[in-house]
Amino acid sequence: MKRSVRRLLLLILVVGCTAPPGREVFVLRIAVWGPLGELAPTGGNESSLASIALPWVFERLFSLDATGQLKPGLAARVERLSGQRVRVELRRDATFSDGSPVTEEDVVRSLRAGGLQAIQSDGGLIVAPVDTGLPVDAVLLEARIFRESGGKFVGSGPFAVVSQTETELRLIRRTPQAGHVNDVRVIAHPTPRDAFAHTLKGDANLITDLESRWLEFFRGVPSLQVIHGTGRSTDVIAFNVALPRSERVQLARALETQRVRELAYGSGECAESSGTSDGDGVVAAGPVLRVLSWGPFERLALAARRALGDRGGEVLHLAPQDLVARMKSHDFDLVAVRPLRWPPSAMALVWRTGAPYNLVGYSNPAFDRAVDEGDWRAAESALREDPPAAFVCTRVHLAVADVKIKNPVLGPYDLLETLPEWEVAQ
Amino acid sequence: MTRQRMALLLAALVAATGVLPLLILAVFGLQIVRQRGERSSQEALQAIAEQAAARIATYIAQQREMLRAVGMAVGNQPDAPRRLIDVSLDAPSLGKVRLVSTETPRTAWPRALKADQIAAALRGTEVASDTYIAELSPAMDVCVPSGKPGSAFCTTLDLLEMQRQVQRIRVGEQGYALAFDRIGRLLAAGAGPMRAAVLSGEPVAESPLAVALSSGTPAPARLRNGEGRDVLAGWASLPALGWTIAVEQPAEEALRGARTALGLLAFGAAVTLLFSITIGYVLVRRMLAALELEERFRTAGKIAAGVTHDLGHRLTILRQIEQLAAMNDPDYLPRIRESLASEVATLRRFVTDFSDLTREAKPQDFLPIELNTFADSVLAGAQGYASEANVALELQRAASELWVRGDRYLLERAALNLTRNAIEASKPGSRVCLRVDRSDGRAMLAVEDQGAGIPPDRIATLFESFSSTKRSGVHLGMGLPNVRRIVAAHGGAISVKSKPGEGTTFRLSLPVNGPQSSSPSAPATMP
Repeated sequence: MKRSVRRLLLLILVVGCTAPPGREVFVLRIAVWGPLGELAPTGGNESSLASIALPWVFERLFSLDATGQLKPGLAARVERLSGQRVRVELRRDATFSDGSPVTEEDVVRSLRAGGLQAIQSDGGLIVAPVDTGLPVDAVLLEARIFRESGGKFVGSGPFAVVSQTETELRLIRRTPQAGHVNDVRVIAHPTPRDAFAHTLKGDANLITDLESRWLEFFRGVPSLQVIHGTGRSTDVIAFNVALPRSERVQLARALETQRVRELAYGSGECAESSGTSDGDGVVAAGPVLRVLSWGPFERLALAARRALGDRGGEVLHLAPQDLVARMKSHDFDLVAVRPLRWPPSAMALVWRTGAPYNLVGYSNPAFDRAVDEGDWRAAESALREDPPAAFVCTRVHLAVADVKIKNPVLGPYDLLETLPEWEVAQ
Repeated sequence: MTRQRMALLLAALVAATGVLPLLILAVFGLQIVRQRGERSSQEALQAIAEQAAARIATYIAQQREMLRAVGMAVGNQPDAPRRLIDVSLDAPSLGKVRLVSTETPRTAWPRALKADQIAAALRGTEVASDTYIAELSPAMDVCVPSGKPGSAFCTTLDLLEMQRQVQRIRVGEQGYALAFDRIGRLLAAGAGPMRAAVLSGEPVAESPLAVALSSGTPAPARLRNGEGRDVLAGWASLPALGWTIAVEQPAEEALRGARTALGLLAFGAAVTLLFSITIGYVLVRRMLAALELEERFRTAGKIAAGVTHDLGHRLTILRQIEQLAAMNDPDYLPRIRESLASEVATLRRFVTDFSDLTREAKPQDFLPIELNTFADSVLAGAQGYASEANVALELQRAASELWVRGDRYLLERAALNLTRNAIEASKPGSRVCLRVDRSDGRAMLAVEDQGAGIPPDRIATLFESFSSTKRSGVHLGMGLPNVRRIVAAHGGAISVKSKPGEGTTFRLSLPVNGPQSSSPSAPATMP
């Protein structure tokens, strides 16, 4: 009897002291293709693949929700002032990933690097763009807050960089949260084919920047789900501003059609269909118009040429740098490009007189005035009255993610800015 | 064996003999159904593979036909280059159609066509490359004659639609199709995880089978796929392209119907068997209870008959003694006293025999008994009876102590019964021998006489109740059955050997308990 009791106690002890079966730690592996580049909040590194991680590491003063409304970031409060100025009050509890508190000096320095000037005022900061012609919120959206620490940049975002190699960037959440993504690895592959193959094999569980035709590969794969999101850029056929306004209006009407969209993209590729002018696409007789294209825009250029009928001229498919050079020198009639369209303030970066991305030299006083006043509706209207381009298609953003992610919503501004909020099924 | 166990055993036997043959037959039947199911699934997969192959062949032929038509329609137009470029808008799968001529630099040739193929194309022959993966989808370079010597229309066919067709083939929930080129490389895969091999070009488990099939070797209809799963497969080849189409379905899913039926049958059989056993058990218990009641009445009748017969005989004698006493003749007094003493002894034995029948052997009360000493005691108890019968009693002891455990009183009653029977069966002047020994690990007590022996036909019923043939004194015929009951309760057995005219030997066999102290204070445990 005693022996049995002793055995029972021993069994309870052994079972009680044995660790429970380990729960698998969820790691989000993001497959990208091309050189990874450096993750840095300054220096125009937005085009590097590592920049996909910027929103998780380096906070902005504020971000935008899906409707374009301001959402607090590092700023607890934002107040619009006159003349493209805002007054912000910082969150007091924010710290950088090295543990140091975020100070107003850090913010002023970071904003300066982002093309903004900030003056300390009454417990807050008054911020305005250095280039007074640009809308302050558009510039603020590009400015990230950081500090240099030991030769590295540190941010106040929920994630911190653990390691980086030529092919892998690893980040972990500073304060792990149960049921959320806590470990992220951005893995660079030489080609899209490699990235796709590794995702299908299960080596990666998130892949972005997909064209709809490539989704075919991922259909019916039980471990993956397709995510859709509205892009913030729009494929346009930009006009040479030397073309008369009336002709540009005609051209816009002829090109912003469902027929052009279907020829260029097939069906269901474009997120918006507003501004179509089906049945009114006649272009008055005139000189033949050459169309420039680059990268993925050849079909759009061909579709535009066909829509122009007899006025559709040669389609030239160029390297990006050649295309930019010809745009700057106005050596073109029409060009297929993809400028920012959302949020509305971003349009100012592209179409305002002298704006940094205004490569075609467009100038519209009505548009500039509306931008200065922050009246985006009036700005849109001014663009329609004197169109710099035919806004053909705002592409749907497509990504494929692990089915364990319960709410994989793509961000309205940065594609994966919502990743820290994603929940993971246990 | 208890009535419950007997009922359960009988019910199980009846149920098993009734249900099991049916079950075995059904299992055989289902195996046949399963095999036919497998064959029919394989035929269905084969048909799907052939349909898919035909559809893909048609699709490729259509693409090439379309290219030829475009070439003929556009080739001689003055704005042919521009119109050829526009073809990709209307027929995206045709890719960028271009005119290749002898002046076209080698770098502008379709990448998968070799120099001799280009040369043949420029001579007016239609040529096509092997399939390759371009921009994440299968592609094939094709050149068709332009109608002008020294030039041809060439393009890279985008076979994404073919890939879609393969990926859309679904068989059941998990069945899928695979397309291989002539070297066994996967061109399209319906199974998601295998699509990685499409992009990476790595061979899969089916690759060598596809290559073998394209060279005429039949492919297996059941195999382990790349994920190690047991699958049924249908195969078809497209000889013109050198491609192979495989349609696979996990065997588990394909044969789920037969397996479910088998499971249901097994479950049904188990339930039926259980039901039969339960019903049988209840019925058999009732029958056994009725039989037992009947047996009790019969036993009571036999006892009553025996008691009536024996006591009636005693009563007759007592009445005679009474009549003798009624004469009041003093000369008869000694005779009356002797007769009464004899009758009292007889009736006491009668009562003792009955008393023995009611005493149960309780293993928890067993005590160690040394068998040689025990036999001495039996010998002493029977000595008086043997002397009266003028029969000599002798004991052959075992070489060493021989211990058993038991109820001494009951074992002594059993041994005395056998000894008295032996004395009664012996002629005056003969001998009865008690022998104690050890045989096959058991303790033996044998009682041998030199009497007339027992007829062979009696031996079979010797231990049955109320079967005594002795009619002297009071004999209920319960002696030997009672001996067997007592010995069985001690874990032992009784046997008999008899030869007419030579004598009879009864042997009691009991479990040995090893050397023990005969002290009653020693703890008694069951052997």
